[in-house]
Amino acid sequence: MAAAQAYDVAIVGGGHAGVEAARAAARMGLRTALFTLNPELIAQMPCNPAIGGIAKGHLVREVDALGGLMGEATDAVGIQFRLLNTSRGPAVWSPRAQADKKLYRQQVRAMLAEEPNLAICAAEVGGLDVEALPGGLRRVRGVRLRDGATVAAAAVVITTGTFLNGLIHVGETTYPAGRRGEPAAHLLGESLKLLGFACGRLKTGTPPRLDAKTIDWSQFEPQPGDAEPTPFSFLTPRIQRDQVLCYSTFTNAGTHAAVRANLHRSPLYSGQIAGVGPRYCPSIEDKVVKFPAKERHQIFLEPEGLDTDEIYLNGMSSSMPADVQAAMVASIPGLERATMLRPGYAIEYDFVQPTELRATLETKAIAGLFLGGQINGTSGYEEAACQGLMAGINAALQVKGAPPLVLSRTEAYTGILVDDLIARGADEPYRMFTSRAEFRLHLRIDNADLRLTPFGRRIGLVTDDRWRRFEAKRARQEAVEALLRNERRPGDPLPAAQMLKRPEVLLTAYVPWLRQRLPEVAAAQERDDPAGWELKTVETAIKFEGYLAQQRRHMEQLREAEGKTIPESFDYDALPGLSREMQQKLGRVRPATLGQASRIPGVTPAALSLLLVHLELRRRAAAQ
Amino acid sequence: MSADTIAAIATPPGRGGLGVVRLSGPAALVLAERLLGRRLEPRRASWAEFRDSAGALLDHVVATFFPGPRSATGEDVVEIAAHGSPVLLQALLEAALAAGARLADPGEYTRRAFLNGRIDLAQAEAIADLIAAHTLHQARSAARQMGGSVARLLRPAHERLTHLIARLEAGIDFAEDDVTVLADDALAAAIGGVEAELQTLAAGFEHARALREGLTVALVGRPNVGKSSLFNRLLERERAIVTAEPGTTRDLVEDSLDWDGLAVRLRDTAGIRPPAGEAERLGIERSWQAAADADFVLAVCDASQPPGPEDRALLDRLQALPRALLVRNKADLPPAPAWDAPEWNGAVTPLVVSARTGAGLDALRRAVRAAALPPAGAESDAITNLRHARQIALARDHLARAAAAAGVPHEALLVDLYEALHALDAITGQTTVEDILGVIFSTFCIGK
Repeated sequence: MAAAQAYDVAIVGGGHAGVEAARAAARMGLRTALFTLNPELIAQMPCNPAIGGIAKGHLVREVDALGGLMGEATDAVGIQFRLLNTSRGPAVWSPRAQADKKLYRQQVRAMLAEEPNLAICAAEVGGLDVEALPGGLRRVRGVRLRDGATVAAAAVVITTGTFLNGLIHVGETTYPAGRRGEPAAHLLGESLKLLGFACGRLKTGTPPRLDAKTIDWSQFEPQPGDAEPTPFSFLTPRIQRDQVLCYSTFTNAGTHAAVRANLHRSPLYSGQIAGVGPRYCPSIEDKVVKFPAKERHQIFLEPEGLDTDEIYLNGMSSSMPADVQAAMVASIPGLERATMLRPGYAIEYDFVQPTELRATLETKAIAGLFLGGQINGTSGYEEAACQGLMAGINAALQVKGAPPLVLSRTEAYTGILVDDLIARGADEPYRMFTSRAEFRLHLRIDNADLRLTPFGRRIGLVTDDRWRRFEAKRARQEAVEALLRNERRPGDPLPAAQMLKRPEVLLTAYVPWLRQRLPEVAAAQERDDPAGWELKTVETAIKFEGYLAQQRRHMEQLREAEGKTIPESFDYDALPGLSREMQQKLGRVRPATLGQASRIPGVTPAALSLLLVHLELRRRAAAQ
Repeated sequence: MSADTIAAIATPPGRGGLGVVRLSGPAALVLAERLLGRRLEPRRASWAEFRDSAGALLDHVVATFFPGPRSATGEDVVEIAAHGSPVLLQALLEAALAAGARLADPGEYTRRAFLNGRIDLAQAEAIADLIAAHTLHQARSAARQMGGSVARLLRPAHERLTHLIARLEAGIDFAEDDVTVLADDALAAAIGGVEAELQTLAAGFEHARALREGLTVALVGRPNVGKSSLFNRLLERERAIVTAEPGTTRDLVEDSLDWDGLAVRLRDTAGIRPPAGEAERLGIERSWQAAADADFVLAVCDASQPPGPEDRALLDRLQALPRALLVRNKADLPPAPAWDAPEWNGAVTPLVVSARTGAGLDALRRAVRAAALPPAGAESDAITNLRHARQIALARDHLARAAAAAGVPHEALLVDLYEALHALDAITGQTTVEDILGVIFSTFCIGK
């Protein structure tokens, strides 16, 4: 069948990965199409009504700093903001916000509608149009729709989330679905398997939704947001919207008894579910079984939006039969008469082993084909968004013939996420934690723009307005830091930076002096950054100087190892001295750099040493 | 070009005429000059003195500085040639490491030479094979270590540290969950627990080294109590000058012997009394020094003469030293009963010997062996490898930093705890984030 229309970049799937990919490619000037089953459900949040959280908030800040949309969209529709972990140091502070789900979809739709290069197409993609090139190589040249029509595209980004061969479980009942109420994508799932990708099966779940009108709210502990909400986007000086309350309570012996009495009906424990679920996001049945000594588990009641009565029962994820879920809910004081609008469910879905990917998120097997989000074995809106953004950026750069953008572990959580995936693969849904970041002190929410906005600018995602503001901010920070390092405040025995090294001395105490010494800088900062984040960055650089330097030494070692590239054709089997086990481990992943090779589980320092020597031998042989 | 400076013994193991410790890397010259206390000129052999940390002269050495890139490795290289005793070379190497060098990995000099282009392609291919052989050997020995005794020794410390890290990480990454944050005193106690385990291992290493290098045993006492006779009898040959005139041994006399596999350096010393002249005063000073330096002191007295205030003063001073035993000599003569009073004997059975007849000497040897050697079976449980000992020392440095850091948030404290963990990982194999997360998920009920 003849091509209907030609695009530079085609995105398959309109979730949190897909929308980032689509907007990035369109903003970078490419003719972009976003294929989705139902445009009404673009940017849907099928699970909890919240964005961010510890480490996830870092990812959203990074998406924003590069020019992605998740941060701005959340700031526009967030209904309760909290900065988490403030009892720790600034490196692990992370923002989280409850979002109105419907407003979030509308907000993202509106943002996409502003992109003249972006077409949104309601159609199911059933397969890929792939051509064989000489030498056994393959290249994607478009997508095939369910009706057989082919749409040509120079690059394709697949962001299909849980839709590939999705199967929902509620007790003994199972039915195919991509998300609740939406059909699964079987054609595309099978088509990817036929193309030879190594696929696996994972599982995730969601809790029941309750009707707010049937809840006795007096029984719960209210959970207010922060008095001063912390925005996600560097472009948002202040959150405007009024904030709502969430509520918390606990499960009890009655809840646990209902779980135990019905374990035989749980698809998790009956063997009905084969996919691997995340350990950090267990169902309530898992919690009760695995931690029998724990008498209660905390749960949160979170509104799904401002003009809906749906309440999300955070902490009660379950795939028990609906009647058991109803009994569990009714066991909790205040929920005795609560109406369950929808039961929780578990969903199993196919994913592609991310060891199939390059650091650009392009598949190694098929040129021009990129994968992003849950299809790569991750979980979470934020993890999806940052991958969608990177996949969209790299698809666009490839079509433009420009060099790719790969973020290093030393630069961004996003870089860590991609590197972990491609070197290690996924054996459970991958979620970001700050403990995954070995240089955590450097990768903070306050400096995400310093780390990444210059990259966003270089590739054409950062607007002139954002860039101007960024440069002004950077100049202010440099002026403040120079003053603090070089000058003494009247009455101080030492320069301000030396004083700030003392734990009890805070930069806020120096603000009056800064206002006096740098009046224009201080006035501009107070206008653009009322919460004083840019001062926090300077303060952190001074207070944690020793620890930052300690990590920097290791960052340099890592960069050196990343600089040693391994040709894709490298023949590990022909490497004398390399054990069979190492040959297999390295041959399976085919690492792009010596650094990446070092992070493949089980690869020994001895094997790396040998690899290094042979890379050098090859280099010299080639030079002669 | 490599950022760090490495050191290793460059000559084959075993006793040779001359042994060489080689430093390579950007700080080679600075470290060597600091170590030897003198400046070195490029490509010129220089005499230097190698002294221990207390300033005692250990050996005269010859040091040569080869500036990079025209050196064996292409980096700055200093070679220090010493008289080839393994113990001395080891001491020299340890001094270089203490000064800031890192112990070279097997094959690392060759690898650096190769990477810095000091070896041509044909040579390089041969050397790659050599490194491959090294690598296989390394892999095999690493595999042995993983399941072996060293890993077993390290396991308690490693496990405590991993759990502490997991605990702190849980408090950061799962602050929203039901995880209680570790209080400051519990944190200090947990770091102390890891340190205590490592301290035991480090002490075991020092002890094992003392055994390997031999035990110094000093004979100390008043003049004419028969120290030199005892010395000769223990050596079973005439060596020290023995006369009936007090104060004959003015200098130290030392010889080595083998007590059932335990290498012993036996030292005779000048008798201790108010000195009669300058020469004797120096001799007596050396006696005290020898007693202080020795691993073991035999406080010799003449049991045929009644004890006096000088004996008391001497014994009080000697007994303040670690591992001193009172030896009652001249058992062949009629004994002075006052020596049997409890104030002279304490809890241990007195060692009654006769240097003249040899009576009681077997019991003396047994007593020294028993006191010097660890209990049966414990010997094989010691850390004996210098590389392992260095890694343990490195881990302890980082633990000390973490323990000393006050008012520092946990994610910063963790920087040092991870460095300590990675120092141990260099022996036991890598601990990954997944390992830490595994501990967290099995310990805490995480997630909503």
